Amino acid sequence: MDSLNSLLDGFQTALTPAHLLWAALGVLLGTAIGVLPGIGPAMAVALLLPVTYGLEPTGAFIMFAGIYYGAMFGGSTTSILLNTPGESAAVVAALEGNPMAKAGRGAQALAAAAVGHFAGGMIGTILLVALAPTVAALAVDIGAPDYFAIMVLAFIAVTSVLGSSRIRGLASLLIGLTLGLVGLDQMTGQQRLTFGSLQLADGIDVVIVAVGLFAIGEALWVAAHLRRTTGEPLPVGRPWLGRDDVRRTWKSWLRGPLIGFPFGAIPAGGAEIPTFLSYVTEKRLSKHRHEFGRGAIEGVAGPESAASASAAGTLVSMLTLGLPTTAVAAVMLAAFQQYGIQPGPLLFEREPELVWGLIASLFVGMVLLLALNLPLAPLWAKLLRIPRPYLYAGILFFAAVGAYAVGGEALDLVVLLVIGVIGFGMRRYGLPVLPAVIGVILGPAAEQQLRRALQISDGSVTGLVNTPFSVSVYAVIVLLLVWPLLKKVITRRRNVTA
Amino acid sequence: MTTPPAPRRSWLRDHSELGVGALLLVLGVLVLTDALTMDVDIAQRGPIGPTTVPLVVGTGLLVVAVLLAVDVLRGGRGEAEGGEDIDLSEPGDRRTVLLLIGVFLGFAVLVGPVGFPVSGALLFWGSAYALGSRHLHRDPLVAALLSLITYGVFNNLLGVPLPGGPLMGVI
Amino acid sequence: MRPRTPLALLGAALLVLVGPPLLTPGSGADTGTQIPGLRLMVPNTPGGGYDITARTAAKNAEEAGLTGNIEVFNLPGAGGTVGLTRLAGEHGNGKLAMSMGLGVVGAVHTNKSPRTLADTTPIARLTEEQDIVVVGKDSPYRTIQDLLTAWKKNPGKLPVGGGSSPGGPDHLAPMLMAKAAGIAPRSVNYVPFDGGGELLASILGNKVAFGVSGVGEYLDQIRSGELRLLAVTGPKRVPGLDAPTLREAGLDTDFTNWRGIVAPPGLTDTERDKLVGLVTKLHDSPQWRESMKKNGWSDAFLPGEEFGAFLDEQNTRVDAVLKELGL
Repeated sequence: MDSLNSLLDGFQTALTPAHLLWAALGVLLGTAIGVLPGIGPAMAVALLLPVTYGLEPTGAFIMFAGIYYGAMFGGSTTSILLNTPGESAAVVAALEGNPMAKAGRGAQALAAAAVGHFAGGMIGTILLVALAPTVAALAVDIGAPDYFAIMVLAFIAVTSVLGSSRIRGLASLLIGLTLGLVGLDQMTGQQRLTFGSLQLADGIDVVIVAVGLFAIGEALWVAAHLRRTTGEPLPVGRPWLGRDDVRRTWKSWLRGPLIGFPFGAIPAGGAEIPTFLSYVTEKRLSKHRHEFGRGAIEGVAGPESAASASAAGTLVSMLTLGLPTTAVAAVMLAAFQQYGIQPGPLLFEREPELVWGLIASLFVGMVLLLALNLPLAPLWAKLLRIPRPYLYAGILFFAAVGAYAVGGEALDLVVLLVIGVIGFGMRRYGLPVLPAVIGVILGPAAEQQLRRALQISDGSVTGLVNTPFSVSVYAVIVLLLVWPLLKKVITRRRNVTA
Repeated sequence: MTTPPAPRRSWLRDHSELGVGALLLVLGVLVLTDALTMDVDIAQRGPIGPTTVPLVVGTGLLVVAVLLAVDVLRGGRGEAEGGEDIDLSEPGDRRTVLLLIGVFLGFAVLVGPVGFPVSGALLFWGSAYALGSRHLHRDPLVAALLSLITYGVFNNLLGVPLPGGPLMGVI
Repeated sequence: MRPRTPLALLGAALLVLVGPPLLTPGSGADTGTQIPGLRLMVPNTPGGGYDITARTAAKNAEEAGLTGNIEVFNLPGAGGTVGLTRLAGEHGNGKLAMSMGLGVVGAVHTNKSPRTLADTTPIARLTEEQDIVVVGKDSPYRTIQDLLTAWKKNPGKLPVGGGSSPGGPDHLAPMLMAKAAGIAPRSVNYVPFDGGGELLASILGNKVAFGVSGVGEYLDQIRSGELRLLAVTGPKRVPGLDAPTLREAGLDTDFTNWRGIVAPPGLTDTERDKLVGLVTKLHDSPQWRESMKKNGWSDAFLPGEEFGAFLDEQNTRVDAVLKELGL
């Protein structure tokens, strides 16, 4: 009960008026910046770093945590409303959220996302308090072969999002994998498909691909077939989640953290893969599977909850090991160092007030964010009432700002447009867009882990299956593949005996 | 002037999806060429080097290209994506799409020389015009305001510099 | 309604043309160390090493009253060479500078960048940092000698982890070590990780035989005993750390990572002297000293032409190592 006492002390720190103010300011700024195009949580924290220079460390970090979580809340807003994800963790939110918004259920999608973030963040933070040392110790044991096994599992899960035509789904996946190849090979520094361009050496960002395929591709597609007869604004619908919505989503909110939290804690986890896995899980388990792709609320609730829980998982590794598992954590680590504080194994002993104050403020921040975002959801949803030409012109404008603002390179805009035209063509010929985005996320990660595992084992293939974890994952995969066959055999036998 | 026989033209139109197969084929060849011409004289451990995955992906592209072509010739069709704002009953409006692409490219070209506020306003205004908005006095003002506010938020509040335009430093 | 259209157009044009300059307040006069409108480019992402150096330097220079607002912006890509290419293209621009370091020297080679650091005006080297050789606390290697013996016997079976891609500092250090120990650099099994986090996990989990990283990165883990420090790579021991240098361990080599500032080519002497003067004053300011202490940076100030000579020397050295590796 040691940590419980410390946590109570932490609440005393977090609930002082000044610290409450910083937390509130943090979540407000974070939400506002998260809504802006092209600025995800990592950029948000980095850009607001100077704002906190004048504060004492505890206040500064309480504010940071608010910005971090706030940016995650805000990031899904543009995904849902404009189909324009601002960062990679919010890509999945666009899949079901945007169709919901188009069908006049934008407020419900935003509310499901907000509650999802709240549930994920809360459960994640509780797990952080309860399990921090254990999880941290386990996270270190996860190595390249284990990651690769998870990637194989994820690739098998992709088959469930290939759409009605397998061939067209595969074509889309391969287009994504090809885009993922562009850039310097991470292991040897070889140029692949860069055509000598330095700008392409770092590869094409997942966000650019998602914004290109989703937002630009869609805007062009709509432009080609804009319904000119009806000029009605999009319906906004009821502002709150109905009882039916809650019945469908509460399990998704609770399941998300189970997938998201562990991924956040492990060194190469991040939020993309858990949000995708959560999406696929929800699709499998849903009673409304036919609604997926057309606005299934579970497909928003689960992944968003997983995303926030992974953020909490990230803090576990950062606070206990000094191990930044995502770009945001790396920026926060740098911020710690600015104050002369070294996160790591000694942090809990050395700075208990700061750490527990920070953790307690996470809970406070979550409540503030929910209180801020639930009433905002119907307001945001009204944004869709603006005339159609403005809506799509605005999407193009914000997509362009997002691509241009960070690097200031006109070439990024051209890349974005080319990917947008690909997205247009894919819509025209019935190639689903999602497998391409998944290909860009999974392809490079899987290749890197595979080759790193082989490199560590000095080229021996046994290096892929030399951990209990990887072996168990492969066992699960075999089971998943064999199960449908097995089920057929069993039912047949039963029929015979009956 | 000779008009091509009508049935032939409509066959091509019906099978325009073969173009997707052709594009995949070209992409596959491109990936394979890039992989095969790569200089792999580098310390590599084990069977998998920098060219392995490109070779797999490139081969996959070729296979899928052929499978897709076979599927199309057998009468399979990709289902064009529907949606709330989409009316598939009419043929595609090529002019609007090309106009939008042009406006976007124009932004990419202009943003450096004339600055973000001007080119951003042109991007929004041009897109809205292409999409059928004809509020001749409202549109440019909305575009200019949106662009200027975005510039202010990024440049002044966040410290993400955007090019300001030709009058920077003059006034 | 018709006559309002030209009015609306005029209003819109006025807004976008006159608005931006009015939003940006003018900077101070061009006197003393003041360089109005100075911009500092960071060739990697926010939060990275060059970024923190640049933002800290800009902030300290403002606090010390040396110059007005310095605008820091990021242009990441290809290990810094995208930024380098932009810098080299800004011929004669005396209001631009770029923070950089050893990593950029390596990246020029691995990316086959058409622009090199010879296309810049060197302003000053600011800080330096030694690399460290560390193992997990359960590792069988107690001393650097244990490690070297095992490494020489079978280099392929001892994967070396580092936080930078090939050509970066954490890659160069073990290669120089191998060369000095008589191991062919090509037989070194170097495993690159995405930054310090993943690397730390794989050292702690004994996934790699040993890791190479900057000294500041893992101080806490070393003090708490999670990591065992076997050696430091610089010419001198690091105060407060109980570990020999490579030379003491019998390897005739040393390696130090550094960071500095360069400016575009084609500056007039006055423009260059002004930038060098500003950075020199910054280096002497109490604010900068305080920041160095806070961040654990070692002072390695080397202004102007001496820095240029140092860049040449580093370039030759990196070139030699990478050629041998076939990069």
